[in-house]
Amino acid sequence: VAYRVLITDDSAAMRSFVRRVIEVSGFDLAACFEASDGAEALELLRREWVDAILTDINMPGVDGEELLRRLAADELLRGIPAIVISTDATENRIARLLALGARGYVTKPFRPETLRAELERTLGVPCD
Amino acid sequence: MAIRAALSTAVADVLERMFFLEALGEADEPPANSGMVAVQLTFDGDPPGCFRMRLARAAAGSIAADFLGEDAESLTGEQSADVTLELANMICGAVLSRIESSATFRLGTPQIVADDANTERPAEEARYTVETGTGTLTVAIQMEKRHAR
Repeated sequence: VAYRVLITDDSAAMRSFVRRVIEVSGFDLAACFEASDGAEALELLRREWVDAILTDINMPGVDGEELLRRLAADELLRGIPAIVISTDATENRIARLLALGARGYVTKPFRPETLRAELERTLGVPCD
Repeated sequence: MAIRAALSTAVADVLERMFFLEALGEADEPPANSGMVAVQLTFDGDPPGCFRMRLARAAAGSIAADFLGEDAESLTGEQSADVTLELANMICGAVLSRIESSATFRLGTPQIVADDANTERPAEEARYTVETGTGTLTVAIQMEKRHAR
């Protein structure tokens, strides 16, 4: 099975890095979409089905927290697992985002294998 | 964790995990007008404060190329700046998480600013410079006094 992933981050450099890390990590990637904020992500999700969403928190406009709220409120989209990728490793923030519906949390800096493992855990991919 | 120790471990961790670079040890900070890119980022929280970074231009290009998996010659100024801002964001977040893992901080948007090498530094600022192999990276953090409860 190959998976379709959406990367949401206001930094084009970070989106490019995450995409490259997923590709070289050996994760089974069928398609990779990019959005620069939560609003663009929601618009894309009306046209494209994805298996998982990777999102930053601090973004202008619709930020990561608001994106999680809108996903949870949407009957069609609430089943898509979202993983937060953030520099913020404080306990309060992680607990808050998991309570908002994030299924996973990866703290920057991260190793490529950490991101792959979190994607596979969230998607229920069986271990090799 | 002491603030200066948090700065040095955060820098080493970010360079290694995200940029596949080994920090080559502490170095002397270059003077003003020595070809540095400066970034500033403020943060809210308890306590709030300000994070600053100075990165040699040669190192900025090399680090951006490694991060994006491209040749340094083919990078645009915008790409290099974007990666430099992301580097500052990651180091600041990593430092704050080490200093106060149970607190909540909200990072502002990092911005390229004029080099602060000649400005007077606050006494409470912690500062650390490291050699990256293609130039020095200096990080500094200043946290306001904690609010009385």
